[in-house]
Amino acid sequence: MAADKAGAEQPFTISIPQAELDLLRQKLVLIRFPDEIEGAGWDYGVPLEDTRRLIAHWKDAFDWRAAEADINLLPMFTRDIAIEGFGTLNIHYIHKRSEIAKAIPLLFVHGWPGHFLEVRKLLPLLTAGSPDHPSFHVVAVSLPGFGFSETPKKPGFAGRQYAELVNKLMLSLGYDEYVYQGGDWGHAVGAHLATHFGHRNLKAWHSNMPLSDKPKLFSHPIAFIRNLFPHDKTTREGLQVTAEFLSKGCGYMTEQKTKPQTLGYSLADSPVGLLAWIYEKLVTWTDSYPWTDDEVLEWVSIYWFSRAGPAASIRIYYEMMGGGSKDRLSGTKWTSIPLGLSYFPREHWRLPKSWGATLGKVVMRSQHDKGGHFAAFEQPEALADDVRKMFAKGGPAYGVVAGKDGYA
Amino acid sequence: MAPIVTDSEQPFTLSVPQSDLDFLKKKLELVRFPDELDDAGWNYGVPLSDMRRLVTHWKDKFDWRAAEADINLLPMFTRDVTVDNFGTLNIHYVHQRSEVPNAIPLLFVHGWPGHFLEARKLLSYLSAASPDHPSFHVVAPDLPGFGFSEAPTKRGFAAHQYAEVLNKLMLALGYEEYVYQGGDWGHAIGRHIATIYGHKHLKAWHSNLPIPTKPTLFAHPLAFLRDLLPYSRTTREGLRATAEYRATGMGYLAEQSTKPQTIGYLIADSPVGLLAWIYEKLVEWSDSYPWTDDEVLEWVSIYWFSRAGPAASLRIYYEMAGGSGRLEKGAAKGAKWTSVPLGLSYFPRELFHLPKWWAPTLGKVVYAEEHDEGGHFAAYEQPGALAEDLRRMFGRRGPAYGVVPGKNGYASIGSRREAVNSQ
Repeated sequence: MAADKAGAEQPFTISIPQAELDLLRQKLVLIRFPDEIEGAGWDYGVPLEDTRRLIAHWKDAFDWRAAEADINLLPMFTRDIAIEGFGTLNIHYIHKRSEIAKAIPLLFVHGWPGHFLEVRKLLPLLTAGSPDHPSFHVVAVSLPGFGFSETPKKPGFAGRQYAELVNKLMLSLGYDEYVYQGGDWGHAVGAHLATHFGHRNLKAWHSNMPLSDKPKLFSHPIAFIRNLFPHDKTTREGLQVTAEFLSKGCGYMTEQKTKPQTLGYSLADSPVGLLAWIYEKLVTWTDSYPWTDDEVLEWVSIYWFSRAGPAASIRIYYEMMGGGSKDRLSGTKWTSIPLGLSYFPREHWRLPKSWGATLGKVVMRSQHDKGGHFAAFEQPEALADDVRKMFAKGGPAYGVVAGKDGYA
Repeated sequence: MAPIVTDSEQPFTLSVPQSDLDFLKKKLELVRFPDELDDAGWNYGVPLSDMRRLVTHWKDKFDWRAAEADINLLPMFTRDVTVDNFGTLNIHYVHQRSEVPNAIPLLFVHGWPGHFLEARKLLSYLSAASPDHPSFHVVAPDLPGFGFSEAPTKRGFAAHQYAEVLNKLMLALGYEEYVYQGGDWGHAIGRHIATIYGHKHLKAWHSNLPIPTKPTLFAHPLAFLRDLLPYSRTTREGLRATAEYRATGMGYLAEQSTKPQTIGYLIADSPVGLLAWIYEKLVEWSDSYPWTDDEVLEWVSIYWFSRAGPAASLRIYYEMAGGSGRLEKGAAKGAKWTSVPLGLSYFPRELFHLPKWWAPTLGKVVYAEEHDEGGHFAAYEQPGALAEDLRRMFGRRGPAYGVVPGKNGYASIGSRREAVNSQ
């Protein structure tokens, strides 16, 4: 129960030095925009009109200090976590406890280009107490190299290390047993966590980006056979969308998994470059989410002002995908801890539902008709609802954490 | 026949406005560098120490005006060329005439991240007069969207248009019949020029980046059958190098052929971003070429100060892929096998090392030379060797001798009847 090789917790307040804000402003004043093909729309990437507007807003209207003050209302902390072979990393996280003493400890893990703030809208929903649904103590970590967590200094920080780190964080908070929710890299980290710490510490997990390989005959015979039959229309459309993503939407991934340092120079140096690189995903990966300029700029500012700089965040692709040589689930195993999957219509991985069986013991599937990749941010009620259902009395993962069923 | 100078040809002097230089300096002073992993070397991309050194040099030492003055010693021009459905584009080019009146007109076409200056070292070799080798009039343009040529403003400027603008340029210069040398995009465009204008205008062409396709049984039976035998070690090594490029060296291509506008913001705004994006290829794609900082910065400055801006240069990938993201299919789409004589040069550190016996799928290969030094930027790294290949291909005893009627590249016409290669 004692904190295992983790340092003391410190409360954390974001306070970006004024010099950083001044440098950003100096750069915003000197932005040089590219040209654009007539009538390009979104076909070639982010439209120039959007970028010009956002830069003008960033320069003249966006109030970082106000955003910062709001973020600081969240219960944030840092602590040192030691990782075998990588020394100590100072890790930033939100830790919001429910009033319900026996609330279920839940770890929320973001992806790229996400960050800890993706949990923001979920927090009040998940931590709320009620006789009608379970309540959770929520821990939302900034992955190493993201937000205000330190980044590893050596090559090779991959699946096993991410799993070790987040597990140690939970143990250090006194949560020997816990559950998990994630999408994007949060999905992959969940799979690695289940592999290394499933049953012992991780008791159940939930993903809103079900990404897995197709079923093999000997390991998942029923799913394999089902997969041989023609898919229904929805599934076929989903596969089409996935194919489209792979052929037209994966340039960022190919570069990030092979040459993150080269790309990193422009992300670190150019506010408009960083903005475009991320904003493209905020728009193309969501279900017409009505982004305000302030929301976009707050989101991108987290990257601009991040502790390790924006270039550090993209290394997760290189490390998890072996510099282009392996896939992100390589090294993970099927486990029998309960797994819940949520399918949002505008997610870009839209694989047949039967493939989910290769990830783990699927106990719940929810299909939605609204929402995209950033489910926690776009559809917090729907996602919270799915998580509650999974762990509710009578639900398929009720009581997985001994003595903490989420009810008063 | 003297080249016809139409109204729109203007001599071109490069003169970057002082305000542009001042602006660049301000940005260089504000560069914010990323972190780097311990002992990263080149594994993750360009090393931080290289970038810091280059940025410092760019900011404090590199003398653009001196470089500019040197470039201005080249015979450069611009002229308007009309492209069907795209209006008029003002095209920049070097036009180096030989003293030999019936020198062979040769069009040199660069690729990405190249530009017109790649021809620089070749010019004196190719235009030199000698009884022992042919001489060429060299035309080295900037492709639309590169260097100091205008960029198209409408979508869809692809293979047909590149071929059209270049062919029209040669015609406007009075070169009804000409030969061609190119690598990288110069290779792909060469295929299309051969397809559309082969024999009529393009009489022979040469590529230093042959990207053939796998032979099929019916089209190329001998090559197909040869493919069934075990590959030699050299071929296997070459295929491995190609596989490595495909596995770890194509991120730039994936992004540029799908979202050129997005990546365009990064390289238009950030000098260090642009520098890294290009320098990575200058080093990885060349055969240990001993780049000086000045060479690198001059090269990248052409992109930074380019007429249409650096983002415009990326769109060739998108347009040639037809917006489908499938570049390899897209770039060759519409290109056909032709019997226009084709010469190939194989440089060891080139990106593609497909088996040499696949080459006949590209065209009527009449000349092939293998080198043991040199990489992707052959004209820049190995100008002597490349020039030698062209001289052999088009020389008196060469397989493409006299392809351009009346212009065999020699000062005196031989007393015997000229052998003109069959078409």
